[in-house]
Amino acid sequence: MQGFTAPTTDFTELQSTMRAIEHACTSIQMHINPGASEAVILSLGQSSQPYKTCQFILENSQVATARFQAAAAIREAAIREWGFLSADDKRGLISFCLCYVMQHASSPDGYVQAKVSSVATQLMKRGWLEFVPAEKEALFYQVNQAIVGIHGLDVQFAGIKFLDSLVSEFSPSTSSAMGLPREFHEQCRRSLEQDYLKTFYRWTQEAASSVTNRIIESDSAVPEVKVCTAALDHMLQILNWDFRSNTSETKINVNVFSAGVRQDGDSLKRSECHLVQPGSDWHDVLILSSHVGWLLSLYAALRLKFSCEGYWLDCPIAVSARKLVVQFCSLTGAVFLSDDGKMHEQHLLQLLSGIIEWVDPPDAVSKAIENGKSDSEMLDGCRALLAIANVTTPYVFEGLLKSMRPIGTLTFLSMLMSEVIKVLMTSNTEEETWSWEARDVLLDTWTAILTPINTINVNALLPSEGIKAAANLFGFIVECELRLASATAFNDEGDSDYLHASVSAMDERLSCYALIARASIDVTIPLLIRVFSERVGHLNQGRGIIDLTETLEELYSLLLIIGHVIADEGEGELPLVPNTIQTQFVVNAVEADKHPVILLSSSIIKFAEQCLSPEMRASVFSPRLMESIIWFLARWSRTYLMSSDGIGEKILDSGHHHEHSSKKALLCFFGEHNQGKLVLDIIVRISFIALTSYPGEKDLQGLTCYQLLHSLVQQKHICVHLVTLNSWRELATVFSTEKTLLLLDTAHQRSLAQTLVRSASGIRNSEASSQYVRNLMGPIATYIVEISSKSNFKSIAQQPDILLSVSCMLERLRGAASASEPRTQKAIYDLGFSVMNHILVFLEVYKHESAVVYLLLKFVVDWIDGQITYLEAQETAAVVNFCMRLLQLYSSHNIGKISLSLSSSLLSEAKTDKYRDLRALLQLLSSLCSKDMIDFSSDSIEAQGTNISQVVYFGLHMVTPLISMDLLKYPKLCHDYFSLLSHMLEVYPETFAQLNSEAFAHILGTLDFGLHHQDADVVSKCLRALQALASYHYKETGSGNIGLGAHTVGHKDSSGNVQEGLLNRFLRSLLQLLLFEDYSSDLISVAADALLPLILCEQGLYQRLGNELIERQPNATLKSRLANALHTLTSANQLSSSLDRINYQRFRKNLNSFLVQVRGFLRTM
Amino acid sequence: MSDEEHHFESKADAGASKTYPQQAGTIRKNGYIVIKGRPCKVVEVSTSKTGKHGHAKCHFVGIDIFTAKKLEDIVPSSHNCDVPHVNRTDYQLIDIAEDGFLSLLTENGNTKDDLKLPTDESLLTQIKDGFAEGKDLVVSVMSAMGEEQICALKDIGPKN
Repeated sequence: MQGFTAPTTDFTELQSTMRAIEHACTSIQMHINPGASEAVILSLGQSSQPYKTCQFILENSQVATARFQAAAAIREAAIREWGFLSADDKRGLISFCLCYVMQHASSPDGYVQAKVSSVATQLMKRGWLEFVPAEKEALFYQVNQAIVGIHGLDVQFAGIKFLDSLVSEFSPSTSSAMGLPREFHEQCRRSLEQDYLKTFYRWTQEAASSVTNRIIESDSAVPEVKVCTAALDHMLQILNWDFRSNTSETKINVNVFSAGVRQDGDSLKRSECHLVQPGSDWHDVLILSSHVGWLLSLYAALRLKFSCEGYWLDCPIAVSARKLVVQFCSLTGAVFLSDDGKMHEQHLLQLLSGIIEWVDPPDAVSKAIENGKSDSEMLDGCRALLAIANVTTPYVFEGLLKSMRPIGTLTFLSMLMSEVIKVLMTSNTEEETWSWEARDVLLDTWTAILTPINTINVNALLPSEGIKAAANLFGFIVECELRLASATAFNDEGDSDYLHASVSAMDERLSCYALIARASIDVTIPLLIRVFSERVGHLNQGRGIIDLTETLEELYSLLLIIGHVIADEGEGELPLVPNTIQTQFVVNAVEADKHPVILLSSSIIKFAEQCLSPEMRASVFSPRLMESIIWFLARWSRTYLMSSDGIGEKILDSGHHHEHSSKKALLCFFGEHNQGKLVLDIIVRISFIALTSYPGEKDLQGLTCYQLLHSLVQQKHICVHLVTLNSWRELATVFSTEKTLLLLDTAHQRSLAQTLVRSASGIRNSEASSQYVRNLMGPIATYIVEISSKSNFKSIAQQPDILLSVSCMLERLRGAASASEPRTQKAIYDLGFSVMNHILVFLEVYKHESAVVYLLLKFVVDWIDGQITYLEAQETAAVVNFCMRLLQLYSSHNIGKISLSLSSSLLSEAKTDKYRDLRALLQLLSSLCSKDMIDFSSDSIEAQGTNISQVVYFGLHMVTPLISMDLLKYPKLCHDYFSLLSHMLEVYPETFAQLNSEAFAHILGTLDFGLHHQDADVVSKCLRALQALASYHYKETGSGNIGLGAHTVGHKDSSGNVQEGLLNRFLRSLLQLLLFEDYSSDLISVAADALLPLILCEQGLYQRLGNELIERQPNATLKSRLANALHTLTSANQLSSSLDRINYQRFRKNLNSFLVQVRGFLRTM
Repeated sequence: MSDEEHHFESKADAGASKTYPQQAGTIRKNGYIVIKGRPCKVVEVSTSKTGKHGHAKCHFVGIDIFTAKKLEDIVPSSHNCDVPHVNRTDYQLIDIAEDGFLSLLTENGNTKDDLKLPTDESLLTQIKDGFAEGKDLVVSVMSAMGEEQICALKDIGPKN
C-alpha cells in the first residue's frame, strides 16, 4: 500500500474510526438509534479517500458487519474518485481485495468474502479498459494460482467464487451501475468474452477434474466436494453467457430462432429456451476434451454410490452436475464442426445415454417419487429433453433413443408425458406438485418439436412413429381433461378467483395441446368429433331426467380444446387456417361436406343453434356453457367464416393443387357463396340471445360484445353481409329504439354501439352508410335532447332510473364516436353537433355526479379525437368554442371545492374521480393540438380566425389550477400533463411568452416539480420543454427580438420578495440536479440539450455559478481540476455558440466527460 | 345564482320516491345501492356463479354515505335491487347559529334553517374555519332516503 496519500496515517485515529463503525453496525442491528448509526456508516463511504481506514477495518475488526461496510465503502469511494486515483492506487486496491479474499478463504463469514470479492471485480471492471494486458495478467495470476490448488482447498474455492463474481459483473444483465454509458459495459463484456472466458473455463475444468477421483473414491463426504460444486456452478455460469462473437456462423438448419418469417401462426412463447452457442473457438475445450464424458461419469458414479440414500439427489453437487448436463444439451452452433451434424448427434447421444436413467421407465420413477424419492432428478430429465428438442430436428430427436432402445425418443416422450399427466390428475390440483412443473416442461418440449421451420409439408416434420405417439398422447390428454372437468363440475369454492388467475396459463396449456393434436390431425379431429358427439348425445338422452352439470362441464372443456386445435388466437392479426389442417387432408371437391374439420365445425354450430330454443336454454345451455360457445364462435369465425384468404386461391390453385385442396374446401364451404351467410346469421342470432336472454350475466355478455361481435365487424367483407341480415337489422333496431338492451352493463353498451356503427363499412353507398348511422344513433341523440329540454329536468335528473338511462346513452355515444371512419365521419360529426349544447346542460345539472361527468368528458374526448382532422374551418371554430365553454364550466364547478365525508374510502374515491376527469381534459387538449399537425379539411382554420395554440394554452390555463401537486402523483395524469406541456412549449414557445405572470408562474411550478420526479420519462419531457424555451429565447434575442421578454428578468412577487428570472432559475436548478442529485444516467443526453441553450442565454450567471463552485473546493488541487473541467465543458470538441445538431452532439460528449471528472469529488461530504 | 323559480317537493313526498328498483347486474362501482336499508355508495363489485353452471350473482361492497359504515350484500345478477335517490343541492352559507344549525340561502332566495352542523370534529372544523375567515362558501348538501348531510364545501370568492 505504498504511495497512498491518505490524510489519515495515525494508528490511534484508525483504531477510533474502526470502533465507531463497529459500534454503529452493532447499534443498527439492535435498533438502537438507527438514524445516527446509519449516518456514521454512510459517512465512511462518502468521505474523501477512506481506503486506508477501510483496509484497516477489514484487517483488524472482529465485527463481520463492520468489515462488510468497510468493503462497501471502498467500492463507493473508489468508483466515485476513480477519475483522479493514480494507476498504482487502482491496482493496489484491487490487489488488496484479491489478497484479502484468498487469505481469509476459510473465514466463516461468507457474506463478507462475497462482498470483498464483488468489490474487487467491480474495481477491476472499472479500470478494465485502462489496464494493459500485462497488468490484467498479473492480477489474474493470483487467481489462477488459487484455482490450481497450490494454496489448498479453501483458497481454491475462494478463487472459483471470485471468477463467479467477475463473470457476473461483466454480464450486462447483472452489472453494477458505475455512472458510465452503456458502451463502456458493452466493451468490457466483449473484451472478457474474447480474451478470458475460455481461460477461466479451462481453469475451472481442471480444478474440478483434479478433485474428481478423491470424491469418487471416498465413502463419506470430503472437503473436495465443495470445490467441485463451485467449479460446476462456475462452468454453468459461463455457459449461460450471452455469446455474440460467433453469431454469424450459426447453422441455420439447427437454429430454431432463425429470423425468417414463419409459415403459420404456431409460434408460442417458450420457457427455458436459452441456447448455448459459444462458437468454434470453444470446440477444443468443450468437445474434444472428453469433458462431457467426464461429467456424466462423475454423476453416474456418485449416483450409484449413493443410490440407497434418497437425500443425495438434492445435494448441491448433484443439483449442479445435473444443471450442467442440461446446459450441455443446449450446446449448438459452430462449436461443432461442419460435418452435417454428426458430431452434434454424437454429443447428444452421449448425453441422452446418461439422462435416460433419470426418467426411464416413467411409471417406475413416478412410483419411486410417490414413495419419497426426490423429484428433482425427474424434473431435470424433462428439462434435458426440452433442451435437446430445441437444438434438433424431429427426425434427429426421434433417432437418438433408437440407438439404445427399441422405441424412438418421441414415443418415449409420449409415454413420459402420459405418466406425468396421470400423476397430475390423481394428485390434489390445488397444489403445484412436481408433475405440474414436469407437464409444463414437456409441453414446451412438444412445442419445440412441433413448431415447423421453413416448411409447409408437415410430413417432413415428424417420422410416422412420432405422429402415432402424438396421436396417442393427445387422446390420453383429452380423456384426462374431460375426467378432470367432470370431477370438478360441482366445485365452486374460490371459482372466480381461480379462473381469473389461471386463465392465461390455461390458454397456454391448451395451445400446446393443440400443437400435439395438429401433429396427427387426421386422427385427432375424428377423435374430437366422436367425443363431442358422445357428449351431445348424452345431453339429449339425459335432458329433464338427470343432473347434466358434469356433462356440461365436459362440453365446456372440450369446446376450449377444440377451439385451440382448429384455430389460432391471432393476437391482433387475422389468423390463417393452421398449416397442418391445410395440408394434411386430401379432399375430393365433390365431398367437401365430409371434410373432418367441416364436420366438426358444423356439429358445433348445429349444437350451438339449439340455444335459440327457450326450452333448451332452460335445461341445457347454462351461462357457462354459453360462454364457451361464444368464445369458440369468436375464435372460429376469425379463421373460417367468409375468410378473405380465399380471394387468392385461384393463383395458388394452379400450382399446388394437392397441398391446398383441404384449405380451399374449408374456406369455400364457409365462404361468402356457400354456407357462410347462413352461419353468419346463426351467429348473430345466438349473439342476440346471449345479450337478451341471460340477464345479469356480465361475463357472457362481455365475451359476446368484445370478442364475437367485435371480431365480426373487423372484416369489411363480413360487414357487407351483416348489414343485409334480418337478424342484424333486428339487433340494430332493438338497440336504437327499445329498452331491452338498456339492461346491459354500460361498458357493454359502448362496445355494442361501436360494433353497430362499424358495420356501416359494409354498406357500399356512402350516403346509405351515413343514413344507417343516423338511423341507428338518431334516437339516442333525440333522447338526450328531449330529456335535457324538459322543464323539470333539473329536479328529476338525479333519479336513479334517469341516471341509468343517461349513463347508457352517453356510453353509446362514446362507442359510436370511437368508431368514426372517413365514410361515416360526417354522420358522427352531426350526431355530436346535435347534442353539443345539451352536453353543457348535462354538465351543469350533473356537476355533483362524478360518474356522469366522467362519461360526458370521455364522450367529448372520443368524439373530437375522431373528428378534429376532418373538420372544416367553420366546424373547427364551433367545436373549439364548445370545448372552451366545457372547460370553463368544469373549472367553475371544481375550483375551490373540498369534499367532506366521514369515510376515508369515499374521500379517496372523490380524489380519484378528479384525477380521471383531469386526465380526460388533458386528452381533449392533446386532440385539439393535433389539428395543427394533421388536417384533412379543404380550407385553413385561419379562415375563421381560430388559433389552436391560443386555444390550448387557454385550456391549460383553466385546467392547471385544478391540478394540485397531490394529483400529479397519479402516474398517468402526470405523464399526460407533462406530455402536453412539453409538446406545447416545444411547438408554441412564442404563445407561452404571452401568458400572464400568474399562469406563467403556475406552469413553471409544475415544470420544477417534474424536473425532480422519480419517473425518468417525466424528467425527460421537462428537460425537452426547458430546451425549447431556452433555445427559443436565445434565437429570438439573437435576431433582435424580445423572446420570452419580461419573464426572463427578476421581479417582485405579491409578498415583495425578489424572484429570479425564468432562465436564471432553471440554469441554477439544472446544474444543482446534474452535479449533486441522483438521477438516471439515461437523462444526461437530454439534460445536455437543455443545459447548452441555458448557458448561452445566461452566460454571466453561468460564470458566476462556476466560480462559486470552484471557491467552495477544499484544496488547490481540486480547485484546479474543477476549473479545468468547467473550461473544457464549454470549449472542448470545437464547441461553438450555435444551436445546431452538431453542436448539441459535441456538448453531450463534453457534459458526459465533465460529469465523470467532477461528480466523484463534488458529491463528497 | 339563477333567479329561476323552483317548487321544492314537501318533506311528506320524500319517502314516496326515495328508492327505485334496478337490475343488480347494471349497478357498478361508483354507483349507489341500498344495503340493509342504508343508502350506500358502491366501492367494489365482483361477480361469481352459483356453482359452475349456475347463474351469476353480484357481490357488492358499499359504504353508507352518511355514517361511513361498510356494508356488503350478494344479489343474483338478474334480480332487482333498490337504488337510493341521492340528490345534491348547493346552498350559500349565510350563518352558523349558536345552537349548531346552519342558515343557508337557497336558489330562490329563501333560507333553509333545518340543517345541523356535523358532529365529526374534522368536518366541523373545516366548515367553521372557512366561515370564520370570511370566505364566500357554497355548501353542497346530499340527501337520500329522508336524511341530509353536507358533502362538499366550495369557496367561490376572494377573501374579504
